[in-house]
Amino acid sequence: MSALAQTAGELRHAVEDARGSWSRVAWGLAGAVVLAALLPPLSLPGVRIDSLADTLYLAVAATGLGLTVGAAGLPSLGAGAFVAIGAFTSSLLVARSGWPLEPAVLAGAAAALVAGLISGGIVRLRAAFFAAGTWLIAWLVWLFLLAFPSVSGGSQGLILPQRTLFGLDATPTVHFEVALALLVLTALAIAAVRRAAPGLELSALRQSPRLATSLGVRLGRRRLGAYAASAFVAGLAGALSVQLAAVADPAAYDPFLSFKLLVAVLLGGAAATLGPAAGVAALGLIGLVAHPLARLLQLPLDRFDTAVAAILLVFVLALGGAGIVPWLEPSLRRFRKPPRPRPQVTGSSEEGGVRAVGESVLQAVELRKVFGGVIALDGLSLQLARGETVALVGPNGSGKTTALRLISGAEPPDSGRVLFEGRTLTDEPTPDRVRLGVARTLQATSYFPELTALQSVLVGRSVRRRYGGAIRTALATPNARREALTSEAAALGALALVGLEEVADVPAPELTTSQRRLVALAAGLASEPDLLLVDELAAGAGTEELERIAHVLARIRERGVAVLLVEHSLRLVRLAADRVLVLAAGRPVAEGSVAEVAASDVVRQTYLGTQRL
Amino acid sequence: MTIALQVFVSGLAAGGVYGLFAAGHTLIHRLTGMVNFAFGDLVGLGVFATLIVLSGTAPVTQSGAHEPRFLGALVFGLVICVAAGILTYVGLVQPYLARGSAIGWVAGTAAVAFAIRAVIGATFQRSSYVFPDPLPFHRIGNAGLVRIGGAQVQARAFFVFGLALALALGSAWLLEKSRFGRALRAVADDAEGARVVGIPVDLLIALAFGLVGALAMIAAIAAAPGQAVNANTGTLLGLKGLVAALAVRFGPPLLAFGAGLLLGVFESAIANVHLGSWQLGPSYREVLPIAFVLLLIAVWPSRDALEEHE
Repeated sequence: MSALAQTAGELRHAVEDARGSWSRVAWGLAGAVVLAALLPPLSLPGVRIDSLADTLYLAVAATGLGLTVGAAGLPSLGAGAFVAIGAFTSSLLVARSGWPLEPAVLAGAAAALVAGLISGGIVRLRAAFFAAGTWLIAWLVWLFLLAFPSVSGGSQGLILPQRTLFGLDATPTVHFEVALALLVLTALAIAAVRRAAPGLELSALRQSPRLATSLGVRLGRRRLGAYAASAFVAGLAGALSVQLAAVADPAAYDPFLSFKLLVAVLLGGAAATLGPAAGVAALGLIGLVAHPLARLLQLPLDRFDTAVAAILLVFVLALGGAGIVPWLEPSLRRFRKPPRPRPQVTGSSEEGGVRAVGESVLQAVELRKVFGGVIALDGLSLQLARGETVALVGPNGSGKTTALRLISGAEPPDSGRVLFEGRTLTDEPTPDRVRLGVARTLQATSYFPELTALQSVLVGRSVRRRYGGAIRTALATPNARREALTSEAAALGALALVGLEEVADVPAPELTTSQRRLVALAAGLASEPDLLLVDELAAGAGTEELERIAHVLARIRERGVAVLLVEHSLRLVRLAADRVLVLAAGRPVAEGSVAEVAASDVVRQTYLGTQRL
Repeated sequence: MTIALQVFVSGLAAGGVYGLFAAGHTLIHRLTGMVNFAFGDLVGLGVFATLIVLSGTAPVTQSGAHEPRFLGALVFGLVICVAAGILTYVGLVQPYLARGSAIGWVAGTAAVAFAIRAVIGATFQRSSYVFPDPLPFHRIGNAGLVRIGGAQVQARAFFVFGLALALALGSAWLLEKSRFGRALRAVADDAEGARVVGIPVDLLIALAFGLVGALAMIAAIAAAPGQAVNANTGTLLGLKGLVAALAVRFGPPLLAFGAGLLLGVFESAIANVHLGSWQLGPSYREVLPIAFVLLLIAVWPSRDALEEHE
């Protein structure tokens, strides 16, 4: 097929997909945008286009912030700093170096992006440290502007000459339309990203960073992407809005701007893409009421704005609200299209095919680990071949979970080596090991409270995505769309393997504990591992459930996946394991088939002690 | 040499105040895992509450204040500060900590910070105020300046540093030896365990929230007469205390206090020290330490600052 025909075909598919998900809500929003775009020519009395344009730019910055605060769940108190960086970089270029507007604006956005990347290390930190870091950023930028009047223009700010934007005089009307277009583009891009793989992974990272990273999701990379994108959008909005104001005044970029943006995001709803814009609109409406009130009470206007915003936020937070848009969500639901019916999963069709049985997959050599004064593992060696299921048993504290953690990469061993498919794993972190083919399930108490069973399994699919990046999903490239479909099919396949395809769309909190166990198994399987490390899958399971789990493990064995099973339930071990290794106080004390080990005196002593009963 | 001494002494005085804010920040973090962004402003609220009793909202013309009236005003300010701190914890921190919602207390304490700044700014509308001096430092030496080794040093600086140090050491001793301190340390180690053995965890944390403000406020007021105060003063003190606390990765309170002292000396040095003909100058005074600590936590975080991951 010629390239032209192929492109045409792809475009046709894209249009069909879009038509499929277009709903009345979408029509409503499109209509609102068109109406808004027609506003300036109408010249309605009392409507100030310049302040509306400024509000729209604020909405753009807030929408960008929604990606960091809403999707990634990172509490940022520093968005205003990036707005300031964009504003002052572009202003300096326009006012002092005579640059035309368009490249200056891009440079401003780029400067904000760079600042975001430099400070981006904080996304790896806990919420308190992240928030503190962004607080520092906000104050750093403002104090810098105050301390260096050569950069910021001092108390009068930088006066900006009039320029043209895209060949037109940069009047408030032009700014209004540009801001509107920018808001629409930003919202569309962010909505696309949030709906696809990046959004799912960020959401998983927000709900349980531990579980998400154990499935191979790269915490630093994903969060940095969201954070840097927010910084870029903020810088862009700042660079443009400062041109509208015609003066870059440092006083307008104090940390309160960051707070105002955060208020807008939380007020309008961080969980929805359009929430922040709704929040900005709400703040604007409140301002309309508050300003006359302030004049009446003879209070200084800007401080009153602050106080109202702060009180409002406290109000919203205290009511436990999620924001305006999520509040409206249920009543809008009837305008949404029902989801497309899912294609039926046809048994266990699989990429990868059958692997050669018998090949050595895992070799652990003399693993040792000491925690403080406690010897957790004291020279554990074991081997696993493809398609083999080996059980690691032993009393509490015998080092079973430690062994799993050393193999999965959660902890480095004090001495000894882990060889996977012949390759020594030294300091590869967990996500890299998942990519290589070592998957691990955590104990059943971990799950994603806001995701369905299928979504939870899709998180495990993240390491196998090649086209799951933010830019690809924002642009909805054909590869990205195709991969989304194959990923969904693979996830459904994994759910079918564990027998849960019927509950694919059930939210995880509504599943039973045993179902959640199997979902965790499916999530590990979705990464197409060669080695699956299973941590106490049967804890608290009844007899019937154990047989079901054993059946699932058998099907996994048929696929050629090696399984290392850490278990307390000797019954499951008998049903599922080829070989058993018994640990006591960090050392292996017996190894062999289930029957051999069950008959061993040493094992009886390990579990029951040496005292005669 | 003389410059160095001036830099050092004035730096130590400012650093003493920063140090108490740093110690307060780290104590709160060790107790709750959160950062109180309103800490500086809560202290600022107390300082201005004291000011309003002493001299209303008019610009201060007297350079000194009657001692008993000052004491009364100080107590009033302390009560306001402590009460506001406790209210902040009870209303805007504890509910979100219980829910595990970081965005809740982040936004809540930021809201309190900005609200207090707005209220102070609305009540005291001049750009800065002079705080009346209860202690007759201006009588010492030459209008409060003494000569030591050829350098002109403010007598007040020694007092502020000494007071801050005494407060820091005193509270460290309390933490170590008193029942209240032991209970706090238990909560810091394991809040759930402390709850199980009957320690009133929420009450203790609420009290701690208030009391760290009181300690910092005393030092801030001791230092206040030397410089202009406005709505930003409290916020900046809280910020610098946070910077010092972050620099030591929220280590023990005394360590944070030491970091605060270092920060004070560094700021003073950056502003005043010449290396040959090269001088950084006052513009960099505040921004350099903040930038440094920001990069520190971004590039080289401590193990327990990292998000939990497997």
